[in-house]
Amino acid sequence: MGWIQYILINVVETCLRMLPIPIRTGLIVLGNPGRNSPVILTCNFHLTVARVKWALRGIDAYLLVANSRGINVWCAATGGLFTNHDVISVLKTSGVEDLVDHRQVILPQLAATGIERKYVRKKTGWIVQWGPVDIKDLPAYLPRRKKTPAMRQVSFPAEQRFEMAVAWAFPISLVAGLILLPLWREGILPAVLLTWGLALIIFMAFPLYQRWLNPRSERIGFVLFDFGRGGVQLILLAGILLGLFAVAKYTGNFSGLFFARWGIMSTLVVLVLSLDLMGSTPLYKSGLHADRFLKVSLDTDKCKGAAFCEQVCPRNCYDVDHHRHLATQPRAHLCVQCGACIVQCPFDALYFESPDGATIAPEIIRKFKLNLMGKRLVKTVGRG
Amino acid sequence: MSTYVLMKILESAPSRYDRGIRWLTLGGLDRAYERLTTYIKTGQKVLDVGCGTGALTILVAKKGAKVKGIDINPQMLEIAGERVKKMSLQKQVKLEEKGVAELESEKEESYDAVVSGLCFSELSEDELSFALKEINRILKPGGLILVADEVKPEAGLKRYLNWILRLPLAIVTWIVTQTTTRAVRGLPDKIREAGFEIRSTRYNRMHSFLELVGQKPGGKN
Repeated sequence: MGWIQYILINVVETCLRMLPIPIRTGLIVLGNPGRNSPVILTCNFHLTVARVKWALRGIDAYLLVANSRGINVWCAATGGLFTNHDVISVLKTSGVEDLVDHRQVILPQLAATGIERKYVRKKTGWIVQWGPVDIKDLPAYLPRRKKTPAMRQVSFPAEQRFEMAVAWAFPISLVAGLILLPLWREGILPAVLLTWGLALIIFMAFPLYQRWLNPRSERIGFVLFDFGRGGVQLILLAGILLGLFAVAKYTGNFSGLFFARWGIMSTLVVLVLSLDLMGSTPLYKSGLHADRFLKVSLDTDKCKGAAFCEQVCPRNCYDVDHHRHLATQPRAHLCVQCGACIVQCPFDALYFESPDGATIAPEIIRKFKLNLMGKRLVKTVGRG
Repeated sequence: MSTYVLMKILESAPSRYDRGIRWLTLGGLDRAYERLTTYIKTGQKVLDVGCGTGALTILVAKKGAKVKGIDINPQMLEIAGERVKKMSLQKQVKLEEKGVAELESEKEESYDAVVSGLCFSELSEDELSFALKEINRILKPGGLILVADEVKPEAGLKRYLNWILRLPLAIVTWIVTQTTTRAVRGLPDKIREAGFEIRSTRYNRMHSFLELVGQKPGGKN
């Protein structure tokens, strides 16, 4: 894969980021691996596989592509589309067992919401090691198989914010363009520019208004969406209207129709963009999922301080007190309710607790995943 | 039967799955299952690979066989379990969360028949050949493999026609559920290559849906 091809894949698939793009599952040989070379497993989202291959240039390894229905690791694992069975299947049917002498497979850490280390080991004998969150850290992780705390955490740096802005702007501007095509052809270019501009502003400026976002807000209504009490949208819209006013004054286009058109169009774009703003970041649970109200609780009687939670938490919520053999949650407020810690705890010491006091036991979290709308088939049950 | 891609929408909401499938296939799938299960005899031991919500499993059990249904989707199995209970078939039916790659834990030559409805089209090439090899291993000599699944039409014109009919549905399904099914190409050949003899095949008019009866050689006929 050359530079040009890699860049092209990234550009095209970032535009289509919201859609799954599956690739053939199975074994990919990277470089010239031997019987002790690392075995790395990832999902079958085309962009992810391209990025993993790119990051591992010059490294000899076996790459296993497991069926995640063409969806990225985190979403697929949390949504029950990337499961134990998919991992077991590629380990058993790809022929990798005949190629290496060891039985260690490196999985992306974010897969820990859906893949159970214990289960895979029991069924296949393979030992799952949780690799870094970010693909780029793979080469640094591989030699010693040790992760720094930074390698365990999700973040939302400028490049990822840009990626999400493009991922939203492209489909919205496409739809807007198609709607305007028969209605108002001259309006297409300004509408597309408006969409891209707003998307870039909203995502790139994220750190500036992040502290006003309220992930616990109950008011996820039609107008207010993710911006808590709607303040940010109103400020943004006021800004846009002022801008429109200035443009109108400057070009002499000052008319009611001009305002109506652009006012309505910008409002719509802002609303669509804020539909699931929190869910478009790795820092919050989707604002559309009721799971965002859940709290991870620790049963200190069951906890033995084995630190599985610390190893898989993508927000670094845990510290393990190695003297008392006990996990603590000093950064619990950062929790994104992904459930990875609950799924992986070998002592079932962690569980979800909802605001009304009901609990969801670990076996339910392991078995029943969230669907697209963030619902589980099985309702919360009392702890018995 | 291009409507099978829509099945994905239903799968994401397992509780609506059965009603939806029946509606989409206008009863076609039920009839296919009825025909296939005429091969099942009382007292036989049968495995249902990819049992989903248990439609085929239950039909097999009603023939008096002992069935084990396996599937990787726990939500579907939950519904299958409820249906089995409702029909008081618990004694004959066992359900297990298990994929085809885990068939190794089944004993050699332990089943009289293996049935599978709309499952092979969910598997990758690797998985399908692995599954067929394993099914051959766990079947008794003379045991039957009974398959109903979506296949790729071989003839050129029908292939294009099917593709065109399928496309809009595939797009809708993809947008709603972000997945799609893959019709199997050359399924009878693959089954033959895995060591089975083909006893009968029956296609729909579009050649996009196949009912197949295969047999593991040996045993007394």
